[in-house]
Amino acid sequence: MSARISTIAKQTFKAAFNNSATLALTLLLGLSLCLATYVGWQNFKTQNNQRLHYKELVRAQWLAKPDKHPHRMAHYGYLAFREKHELSFFDFGIESFAGVSIFLEAHKQNTVNFSEAGFTNGMLSFGEISVAMVLQLLVPLLIFFLGYNSISAERESGTLKILLCQDVSWKQLLWGKTIGIIGVCLSIFIPLILLTILLWASLSHWQISMDSALRLLLLVLSYAIYFFIISAITVLVSAFARSSKSALITLLACWIFFMVIMPRITQAVGVKIHPSPSKIEFADAIAADVHRQGDSHDPNDPHYAAIKDSLLKAYTVDDVKKLPFNYGGYIMAEGEKITSKIYSQHQNELNHIFEKQNSITTISGFLNPYLLLKHISMALTASDFNTFVDFQHQAETYRYQLAQKMNKLQIEKISNIAPGEEEKPLAISKANWAEQPDFNYHFKKLGTVLSNELLALSALTFWLLVAVMLLQYSTKWIKTIS
Amino acid sequence: MKKSRYNLEFKLFFRSSSSWIGIVVLLITGFAGLYFGKTFVARQKAVIEKAALLQKKNTINNINHFGKDIGLFFFHNKFTLANAPNNWAAFANGQRDINPYLISVTMLGLEGQLYDTDINNPVSLLLGNMDLSFVYIFLFPLVIIAFTYNLLSEQKESGIWSLLRAQTNQSFQVIWQKFLVRLVVIFTVALLLLFIAMLYLELPQDFTFLSVTVLILLYLTFWFAISFFFISLGKSSNFNASALIAVWVLLCIVIPASFNLFLTWKYPVPEALQNVINQREGYHEKWDMAKDVTMKPFFEHYPQLKKYPFPEQKTFSWYWYYAMQQMGDDQAATSRFAIEKKLASRQYFTNIFAFFFPTIQTQLGVNKMAGSDLDTHLGFQQAVRKYHEQIRLHFYPAIFLNQSVDNTDIKNYKLEKYNPQEIPYIWINMLSVSLLTIMIIGATALNLKRFNN
Repeated sequence: MSARISTIAKQTFKAAFNNSATLALTLLLGLSLCLATYVGWQNFKTQNNQRLHYKELVRAQWLAKPDKHPHRMAHYGYLAFREKHELSFFDFGIESFAGVSIFLEAHKQNTVNFSEAGFTNGMLSFGEISVAMVLQLLVPLLIFFLGYNSISAERESGTLKILLCQDVSWKQLLWGKTIGIIGVCLSIFIPLILLTILLWASLSHWQISMDSALRLLLLVLSYAIYFFIISAITVLVSAFARSSKSALITLLACWIFFMVIMPRITQAVGVKIHPSPSKIEFADAIAADVHRQGDSHDPNDPHYAAIKDSLLKAYTVDDVKKLPFNYGGYIMAEGEKITSKIYSQHQNELNHIFEKQNSITTISGFLNPYLLLKHISMALTASDFNTFVDFQHQAETYRYQLAQKMNKLQIEKISNIAPGEEEKPLAISKANWAEQPDFNYHFKKLGTVLSNELLALSALTFWLLVAVMLLQYSTKWIKTIS
Repeated sequence: MKKSRYNLEFKLFFRSSSSWIGIVVLLITGFAGLYFGKTFVARQKAVIEKAALLQKKNTINNINHFGKDIGLFFFHNKFTLANAPNNWAAFANGQRDINPYLISVTMLGLEGQLYDTDINNPVSLLLGNMDLSFVYIFLFPLVIIAFTYNLLSEQKESGIWSLLRAQTNQSFQVIWQKFLVRLVVIFTVALLLLFIAMLYLELPQDFTFLSVTVLILLYLTFWFAISFFFISLGKSSNFNASALIAVWVLLCIVIPASFNLFLTWKYPVPEALQNVINQREGYHEKWDMAKDVTMKPFFEHYPQLKKYPFPEQKTFSWYWYYAMQQMGDDQAATSRFAIEKKLASRQYFTNIFAFFFPTIQTQLGVNKMAGSDLDTHLGFQQAVRKYHEQIRLHFYPAIFLNQSVDNTDIKNYKLEKYNPQEIPYIWINMLSVSLLTIMIIGATALNLKRFNN
């Protein structure tokens, strides 16, 4: 049984490469893939080096600041740059559409600015070529061209009857053809993977991490399953179609609908069903909540007046100036705590809305293997929405810690008596600045990523099962003669 | 005789269900594009209206909170300029989802505020918008291919062609008539959608409408020419379908996408990050320096402000503070110009490249007419700079003299709208698409000559 399958597979594989057009197409695709890999890798290096360069500069400038008031340092703030994951040269994901740098300062949460998309002129709506894009969009097209006549041509030339008479079962025929077509894909995919591994290892200076290695392994596996699903569908369409021509037209129509039109529509629907607030509405809602909680600028505000009274009572003094610590710093720390909590709540709600918008596209993965693989690929190469949200989150945590660190220095080291209008401002030693560590983004571990992507992974399993079942059991409905 | 043959061809064409499928697909996606495009723009318009209300509300709130201290008031109070979408933006959303259409700035350093983005869902940006221009640029060519790829090959494969050739020496006329029928149908659908867009999106019937219509019809002609070129090769249906789809994939996906990657790699914009750093250092370092370091260049920049006495003795004054903020902008000037230069060279390179690719050319042309391209956004940024400068110069004296907020005309300030003055033109885009079409028609004519011989 398996010997027959492998004979058919080998035959399909050989026949494909005997066709000069297929050979040319495959070679062309292979070459463009290698080119895409190389330029993607170069691009990754340029961009990441830029970010690392500025990251070091920001740190050096922070440490070099002279003695000053800690609150000045809190306003000087920090610049954080979003690092790329070393695998993101494989799949750019949302990289070009997400901002790169964020300014972290006291009292204020800023946006992540300077996305690549902001520097381009409408061209980006055509997409951006990456290894992932070629594998997701163009390899299926190659599979369609390879396989549209895999069964129908046998039927049209009459060899199908002969084959089936010679004790070859439909099942063997379908499996053999599918495997043969996958073989052709693998002949470009495998060298590409080797190249990817080589470039990836050189990006990580030959010190590869276990986490990335596993990510890459899963990535290869997912793509292999994707190619299998597409190949199986192609062979099945060819088997069920009335003619080679109708098989080709059906497959091309599917390609256009599922890969070009559907992604835009699902996302547009998601945005329509779950509208997200604009920036001004977002800011206004936060300001309203902060106002409700209390206003640290207003000396008569009940919330802050209560704090003041309890402090005066606890230290048994009659004026905040007599407190043994810096009262202004204490109030600012309290204000920062309240505002950043409110901000985080709103930010989480916003991200939740975005997630709901994206979920329409994710769920469509059950109908559309392309959307499904795109999602998994972005998650594994850490170029997805969740990674971006995680960056924002880590940056905000760092911002909060920085602001509170400076407030703490003010509370402990700054006199409670403000200097006169023409006197030197209060300051602390620059030695304190080094206490604030550098900002380093930590990528999520693979385990966390996988548990977030359970839906997409189960959709992939679903498709794999459907493909296998169809190859196994759909044979009774196929007609041998048209 | 001839007329009745055309009638017959039309009848034949409309009898086939695949023709109707093609037309219905275009109409449905066209309506979807119109709907989503209009929703997108309506949302931006609604937000701008809300922003106008908030602008007033926030100014009054700020007066209540910080009104006693004019320096502090202007530290907090924001001024908003909106790049309101015109109705065409619904036709081609372009870059309007990526670039902010509302920029709110305080009187402080502008370079630290100008580039703040809107809050966006990056996945939506990645997957792109559904608008009518997408239907014209991506889907119409596909339907053109589907309608025409087998005009000749089908006749050949069914054996009609040899019969026909035996009976008449004008056999190619038949193919040409079939082709013209399809051309008329596609153009009718295209014009019909444009007409519906005109009503639904309330587009004025002006020069812009004419330009867009002409550009789109030229673009569709280009695809008909490509398709006819492949017909003239006389190959099989399967070859034609594969080759035409391959051309579509190359022109609509692979080449522009490769170009994008190349552009990012060739012209990276590290100047943007440098600019943030320059602005931040330029301002913050002044706190630890003698006041003269700030005030000398400040008065060089604005000699007219020298007449307001600077409180030298005070450790802190708003006068000094705003001058320090100005220094941040002034010290970021070089990197700012470097960004502009880099973007200009990107634009230049894109324009040269686009000349050879009608898909890119048409998209860029339509975006330009719709005011949703990068140039419009850069113009908007320049307008914000101008507005900011005007506000600075208007309110600096009051702050420097420490006047009361109530003595200023701050309450008259409301949300302003950016109005680009010039009407863009897209002759170059039309020219490029026409030239390429003519070249392909030339190549086809050569083929046909060989064919007839």
